Amino acid sequence: MIGALRAQWLIAGNTVRELVRSKLLHNLLLFAVLFIASSMFVAQLTIGQWDRVILDLGLAAIEVSGVLVAVLVGVSLVAGEIERRTVFPTLARPVTRGTFLLGRYLGLCAMLAVSVALMLGVLAAVLHLAGYGLSFSAAIAALLILVELALMAAAAILFGSFTTPILASAFSLSLFLIGHLLSDLKAFQQRSQSDLAKALTGIAYRLLPDLELLNVKSLASNELPVPHGLASTAALYGAGYAATLLVVAVTIFSRRDLK
Amino acid sequence: MASDRRLPVSISLAIPSLATGVVLAALATSAALLRARAERLAPVAVEATFDIPNFPAEVVRPFSFGLRSVISDLMFLQAIQVHGGRKKTMLTAQEGRRDDRALNRLLTYATDLDPHFAGSYRFAGNAMPRQTSDGKATNVLEAEALLAKGARERADDWHIPFTLGFLQSYYLDHFAAAGQNFAAAARLPGAPQYLGLLATRTLTEGGNLDLAEHLAAAMADQATEESAEKEWQERLLDLRMERHLRQIETAAAHYAARTGRRAASLAELVRSGDLAGAPREPHGGRYELAANGEARSTAKARLRIRGRKGTLAALEVQ
Repeated sequence: MIGALRAQWLIAGNTVRELVRSKLLHNLLLFAVLFIASSMFVAQLTIGQWDRVILDLGLAAIEVSGVLVAVLVGVSLVAGEIERRTVFPTLARPVTRGTFLLGRYLGLCAMLAVSVALMLGVLAAVLHLAGYGLSFSAAIAALLILVELALMAAAAILFGSFTTPILASAFSLSLFLIGHLLSDLKAFQQRSQSDLAKALTGIAYRLLPDLELLNVKSLASNELPVPHGLASTAALYGAGYAATLLVVAVTIFSRRDLK
Repeated sequence: MASDRRLPVSISLAIPSLATGVVLAALATSAALLRARAERLAPVAVEATFDIPNFPAEVVRPFSFGLRSVISDLMFLQAIQVHGGRKKTMLTAQEGRRDDRALNRLLTYATDLDPHFAGSYRFAGNAMPRQTSDGKATNVLEAEALLAKGARERADDWHIPFTLGFLQSYYLDHFAAAGQNFAAAARLPGAPQYLGLLATRTLTEGGNLDLAEHLAAAMADQATEESAEKEWQERLLDLRMERHLRQIETAAAHYAARTGRRAASLAELVRSGDLAGAPREPHGGRYELAANGEARSTAKARLRIRGRKGTLAALEVQ
């Protein structure tokens, strides 16, 4: 058990070292930082509401670039390694596939946390330059974005464990898009006349992750408080969903024939 | 001899490249010219005439994938550009119709996407209503509808019901509704103290004395400073006086309808039984009945919206 944890820790550390040198990560982060910084100029176009415009654009940049990092990098960490066959030297060592997968995931989550903290720092600096502070609601919104990114990273690892990198990326990004449409899926289910459609949409509604629960950006930009208990419940929901995806990923990856 | 006629290698390579370049340049120029001509000839795209994106807000909201707040901001910024681009001279309602409609639709769209966008409602209240060059007011009812939605969605922001009350009293002559909105604004955190006084005055003008007294009593109870409490107690006396004056005027009207002549004094109204008894003036003065049937107090002026004739309340709203 301790050996497995140590192996996971080592793989996670190696993953972080790999990602620190990743050009894709650098480019996406640079794009996000420039986008957040440019929000100050966009805010010049408005009458009042400067802080809202900066906050909206900043949180959007954190989310969009974070999702791209989680999906594209997450897929390359497993599916990419399998395709390039660079996974075999690692698996030839006394390391289980589950340990390898979880180590990769933890390393990616650590990088995502650092990226979100970096981008949030830039956003706080831009707000400070404009004469505003970062509200508690905005910090909660950023934290829930991080949970969403951890969930998307788990999805990317899951899809990467049984399919090609391109398909895994497409599946993961589709999951992100569908995850923000679930309330409409429920409305469709309630209004549908067909029993079959009701049953299928009902199953999809229960199985797919409701990413809108992790979205409190609108509350933050409107200076409204996050309802009591929502942030912790939503964060636990996101973490639980990510853990479920990882268990499925480990199960599939452990039984997959990599030849 | 044949080898002498042969061109040098560099030139023989350059000619095809040059020819390709010339052909490409000619094609690109032709394409650009043809495109420009086709664009001139083509009818205006339907989408280009829209003030807002050609998708309803109900569709954009889910398909913004969690970024609806950003799209709402973009609509708000567009509305500001429309407002900034308006001509500085006064126009008729018809002449400025396109910008008025664009402002209304953009701000409605912004608030449909993000119903909590307080800044958008405030901007709508200030930017949308417009006086026209022919002495009318336009885009007021649209602004009123947007602000009413804002007052429902952002029940914590006193600016929105305040602006709504202002539009209703200033442009629409709806003093009862305006007073209710001022009263709602006065109860919200952060509202300035004068707002409650304005609310009671407007409610009095609109005829809702019960709500005015209720508000004044609540404000007096909540007052944390002695001076504020004294001011509200004074306003309660003003409202009691107003109630008495209205009773006297109603009695005077009954008397005139019954006898065919106006009562000469308060005592005559009491003697005839039209007034149950002479009410006591709460400020220590006394009540008088003018020849035109209007009652007044010798101690204090009645609560009225001053200079009402000078406001736009009599303007025709289009």
